[in-house]
Amino acid sequence: MEPHYFFPPAAAYPLNRFLFALKSDTAVRECYVADPEGTMREHGLDDQARAALAAADRDRLVALGAHPYLVFMAQVRLSMTREPGTFEYF
Amino acid sequence: MPLVAAFALPHTPQLLVRPPTEDRALVLRVHTAYAEVKRRLAAARPEVVAIVAGDHIEGFFLDAVPALAVFVGARAAGEFGRYHYAFDVHEALARAIVEQGIEAGFDLTYSQDVPLDYAFYVPLHFTMPEPRVPIVPLYVNVYLPPQPTPRRCYAWGQALRRILDVRPERVAVIASGGLSHFPGTDRYGSPDYDFDRALLASLAEGRGAETARLTGEELDKAGNVELRTWITLLGALGDERAEVLCYEPSWHHGNAVVAWPV
Repeated sequence: MEPHYFFPPAAAYPLNRFLFALKSDTAVRECYVADPEGTMREHGLDDQARAALAAADRDRLVALGAHPYLVFMAQVRLSMTREPGTFEYF
Repeated sequence: MPLVAAFALPHTPQLLVRPPTEDRALVLRVHTAYAEVKRRLAAARPEVVAIVAGDHIEGFFLDAVPALAVFVGARAAGEFGRYHYAFDVHEALARAIVEQGIEAGFDLTYSQDVPLDYAFYVPLHFTMPEPRVPIVPLYVNVYLPPQPTPRRCYAWGQALRRILDVRPERVAVIASGGLSHFPGTDRYGSPDYDFDRALLASLAEGRGAETARLTGEELDKAGNVELRTWITLLGALGDERAEVLCYEPSWHHGNAVVAWPV
């Protein structure tokens, strides 16, 4: 059985690179929040990856080779950017 | 000098930045355990906190994936949402760990410029005594396969202990990570808490060395890829009996706070 955290396929590098930027690069994340489609195109994501990410479809992203942790943390950081008031900060 | 304190702590980001999906009372119970660690850490009067954490594809991405790495810069910094943090690094100790670690046969990567992710920050945020002491960040690859084997992590912990024992500094060691969770996968809502409970029971009996015999496949199946940081610490501790200060399984994460007498 494939492990939960599988070897990232080379073909998915652009998608993983973008997810990495989305979670770790505030400027990229803010661009994405303002213009998801344009930002994904600018970063070279193909049609399938753009559709899966726009739908926040974890299973499809992972099936495309996205690293599950990157999918997870990109979504966490996006929600922290979009809805900062819903979090409690310690 | 022998170690002055040893702990394994969770770094679940929801403990720092709580979304409405998290049980507030549970979060506060983990904070109470963190506070006890902070008290004990202060009482141990460490001059350095060496912290072993799994990089969350923050410091290291697919352009280069070190199995084991040491931060040897002057200051380690990072950000998580509204938190922007930086810690002084004990450069002399970090450098000694790299030099002597390599001499001992561990092909360590080192960096003088790598971001410090929340796996380091969350435990330090809650447990670093005042005034702060410098840290040495020690990285173990936990999320990008192939990860170092549990056997290798344990051996690295043993080597680390031999290095630290002859250093002049008073060193506390923290392992950051775990327990069971499956971020980003279809198992997110169903961690393996039976694995966690059995593990904590065996650590409380002083059977830490058994973790070196786990396989990478077993860790992945149990949502415990991050246990590699604990196993590294256990290599440094041998069969000391653990004291479990808290185990708080949430709907997605087994939060464990554990102390060892040293």
